[in-house]
Amino acid sequence: MIFRVLDPTPEKTAPLGQKAPRLDTLRGKTVGLISNGKEGSKGFFAHIEDVLRNDYGVANVVLRTKPNYSAPAPAGILGEIKSWDAVISGIGD
Amino acid sequence: MQLASRTYEADSIAAVQELYHSNGWTDGLPIVPPTEDAVRACLERVMMTPDQLIGIEPVRGLPIVAEKLAINAVMAGCLPMHFPVVVTAWMAMMREEFLMHGATASTGGCAVLVVINGPIRQEIGALGSFNALGNSDRATAVIGRAIRLCLINLMDVRPGAIDRSTLGHPGKFSYCVAEDEDDPAWPTLAEQRGLPRDASAVTVMAAGAPRQIMNEWTTKPEEFLETFAAEMRANLRHYSIHPGNYALIIPQQLREHLRAAKWGPRDIAAFIHERARIHRREWADVGKGAVVRDRGDSVYPAMQSADQLLVIAAGGPAGGFGAVIPPWLGDKSHAVTLPIGACVDCEPPPSLKGSLP
Amino acid sequence: MPAFGVMTTNFVSAAELMAKVLGMPGYTFAIIDHPVSSASDAMLRERAIVALEQGRGFLLK
Repeated sequence: MIFRVLDPTPEKTAPLGQKAPRLDTLRGKTVGLISNGKEGSKGFFAHIEDVLRNDYGVANVVLRTKPNYSAPAPAGILGEIKSWDAVISGIGD
Repeated sequence: MQLASRTYEADSIAAVQELYHSNGWTDGLPIVPPTEDAVRACLERVMMTPDQLIGIEPVRGLPIVAEKLAINAVMAGCLPMHFPVVVTAWMAMMREEFLMHGATASTGGCAVLVVINGPIRQEIGALGSFNALGNSDRATAVIGRAIRLCLINLMDVRPGAIDRSTLGHPGKFSYCVAEDEDDPAWPTLAEQRGLPRDASAVTVMAAGAPRQIMNEWTTKPEEFLETFAAEMRANLRHYSIHPGNYALIIPQQLREHLRAAKWGPRDIAAFIHERARIHRREWADVGKGAVVRDRGDSVYPAMQSADQLLVIAAGGPAGGFGAVIPPWLGDKSHAVTLPIGACVDCEPPPSLKGSLP
Repeated sequence: MPAFGVMTTNFVSAAELMAKVLGMPGYTFAIIDHPVSSASDAMLRERAIVALEQGRGFLLK
């Protein structure tokens, strides 16, 4: 007896994103940090900011913390990204 | 009715099982082969077309269509009469306030508690009596299981993949309860949450495992409800201090004492809201002294307001037992109640408007 | 714009899966030691330096 059965998965993949162009240097740039606010992230990002400024010559560091670490960053934070030169997000832990 | 899903052919039940298991499409248990006829029957029962949009999962922007819910429901063992509950539960889970991705991916390992109210319970034989939190009846077993299979197959919620649960709990196989509505004077959960009693409804809650309490040594509500409150205080100490939805399962014997004392769900919620709270310094008693710091006097209630308590009447007739079901993690996820058969709102959530093709 | 995420070692497979699911398979991450929630300040500094050493290649040409 032949069983004809159906695929239970969406069968569609998300449309591919594209990589952004890279920077020549971090010196003088603005780097945005998007933190998920989990335990330890505050200290971690404080060090990230320090190292970016002192060792990489970054001019401005903006820290934004997501109000809910289990959800994607809200529109307000995403809207600010266009005023930055690069983004570092974390921490998946 | 034309279905869009890819089909596979297998020459035996055993071959079907191996096909689905090897693709990671099951919860580890055997599945019912989802044939086109079985899937069509579910869709006809809810009067939906296969491509009818149930909603859009917010994190990926992924459209969820009726056909795919039906395939997973059939696999779980659902008959067409169970399918309206599955669809409504899924729609409730897709509400932004439920936070489906967070709730189902988290290391916290919660499951989705599904509560059924209204006349549909009689139609499908969902009993809310003996063994209410276990394998009480076919309907609640398969509806709960359908939810898990949908998560596995439509959202990649597989252990080690999107599902990062460290431990999880057995509710992840199936966690569905029908309320006992035999007492017309006792407000059902759906009524507590604003719906009419004669509407069938589903409530979903991102929930930890149930903890059973027992108090058969008093008939005074303040005394046996204190036992429930103590279990909630233990959760605040042992698991998580964050306030959110808690569910209490109150079987018949304790409800009789409550009725005799003229207490209903509102009175229970007000009492529990007051009693279920701890001081931060209590963490030091359970090995968490490191995070008490200088905030030992801070008070942490289990709920920010009494209406966060879900009071559910269910369970067999004998025994001074009850259960406390704690939230996944505070109020990150909010319980959602929807009537069955309500208008399907297919608009993308506000956060995605404008970003979809 | 150029970006990278920071994950701990225990979450690498989750990150890879989410990247695939969101249409960016091969999206790169800096990987630091787990756990972060109980790491000392000195350990956090060390991991910040490591994360930036790994991550600079995703930001710069």
